[in-house]
Amino acid sequence: MKKELSRRDFLKSAGLIGLGAGTLLSTVPWMEALADENTKKTIGEKVRIGIIGPGSRGRFLMNLIKKNPKAEMVAICDIYQPSIDKALKIAPKAKVYNDYRKLLEDKEVDAVVIATPLYRHYQMAMDSLDAGKDLFCEKSLSYTIAQCYDVYQKYKSTGRIFFVGQQRLFDPRYLKAMEMIHSGMFGEIQAVRAFWFRNGSWRNNVPDPSLERQLNWRLYKEYSRGLMTELGGHLLQVGTWAMQKLPETVMGAGGLTYWKDGREVDDNVSCIFSMDDGRRITYESVISNKFYGLEEQIMGNLGTVEPEKGMYYFEDGTVNGVTPKPAAGFMQMMKDVQNQVFEKLPFAGTSWEPEVAKDVKGNYIMGEDYKINTDGSQELINAFVEAVITQKQPERIAEECYYASAMVLLGYDAIEQGKKLTFPHEYRLNYLNHKHQAK
Amino acid sequence: MKETVITVKRKKIEIWTLVACFVIGNIINVYAIQKYDTPYSELFWSLGYVVTVTVALYVVWSVIRLVIYAILRPFCKKR
Repeated sequence: MKKELSRRDFLKSAGLIGLGAGTLLSTVPWMEALADENTKKTIGEKVRIGIIGPGSRGRFLMNLIKKNPKAEMVAICDIYQPSIDKALKIAPKAKVYNDYRKLLEDKEVDAVVIATPLYRHYQMAMDSLDAGKDLFCEKSLSYTIAQCYDVYQKYKSTGRIFFVGQQRLFDPRYLKAMEMIHSGMFGEIQAVRAFWFRNGSWRNNVPDPSLERQLNWRLYKEYSRGLMTELGGHLLQVGTWAMQKLPETVMGAGGLTYWKDGREVDDNVSCIFSMDDGRRITYESVISNKFYGLEEQIMGNLGTVEPEKGMYYFEDGTVNGVTPKPAAGFMQMMKDVQNQVFEKLPFAGTSWEPEVAKDVKGNYIMGEDYKINTDGSQELINAFVEAVITQKQPERIAEECYYASAMVLLGYDAIEQGKKLTFPHEYRLNYLNHKHQAK
Repeated sequence: MKETVITVKRKKIEIWTLVACFVIGNIINVYAIQKYDTPYSELFWSLGYVVTVTVALYVVWSVIRLVIYAILRPFCKKR
């Protein structure tokens, strides 16, 4: 029978029952916000949240907030009446605003959640922090890397709580996978191959053609950076989290190859992010073929992790602690002799045997009975609420979130300019291998 | 059909040839065990492969001997 994962199970699986689990907390210190010892202290407290942009993603977040007894939604803000009507069904007592600045003036609002189209994030985030509100902004953080840097600096100068919607930071599969990776189980991570493939137009039906750009904002460059900002940030954050290293350069290419329906953003993108030691993270997204789906393939010299599938594989084929016996030495030698005899044949290429992927059963990151019932979104919201109550910004979360957005925006620029770009030194933080240098 | 006689000398030669092939097979096996760092228990478990190689070597050597015999036979008759 499949197990449901309770909150306590989640914390237990992540090693957070009791703060003795220092190994995990040293690499994911943001999880401390959800540790039992800390959450018990905030029982009875209440955070009053305003939602700016309760569209489909905004309402998804509202449903998560509703499940947290320490949070209540006191205000919503939107300019599209159907979204307001649907949001009021989730938070019937919330005050309704049509101008987010009025919401920010509301003294009853402690914190805001921004889930508007990308191009609106920057001004709203800056104004929210200036208004003294704690901030949860959906990814990507802003429309340009310079704007992201401004928001990060504003967070530092105001000292408010600052989260971005990078839910994989709280996904139990990813937490466990990272614990394994950082313990050296898979050797040194050499490359991360991240991809997100879908087969769909990504287009919303609009009730009136005049609302096309407003409702399908993701498809237009004026409002969105397309597949880079809408999907790429999640995967690239996982890549740098696994490697514990930030990229120096990025190259990219993209095109509008299938969905030629008047949209402006590419439906087919690919980027290569390179570290200073030559290791790489690649990101690819195509939305006219879904065969390979979504994954981050984290490749070490001893093994591979596929956290989205919840699986890991060892190079020597070990499954559940059992390593398959190698072929007898006699047979290995015969095979080598055979290869040496035939490898000079011009049609044989570099390897006599085709090196197709091995069909290995693999190992389960969370155990075979684990049923995926969270992608970390609920825990992300819960951590934000705890942080707002305690006014303690969890370590590293702002930096992880900043870089997730900065990397996709740099990748977008590389695609648009058709150039290999170096991560600008003026937009680097003093984080991991990066050092900030003023322009 | 003519009666054929296999001399004691011939029997000894063939037996020693077979033993030599078997020893060569085992030497190859020991080399492979060392080279590929596999357990020495393969000296026993890989006997099947060794016997196969023994037979193969014996057959190859026999063919070589037959060819040499066929080439030299006319000259021997002349004498």
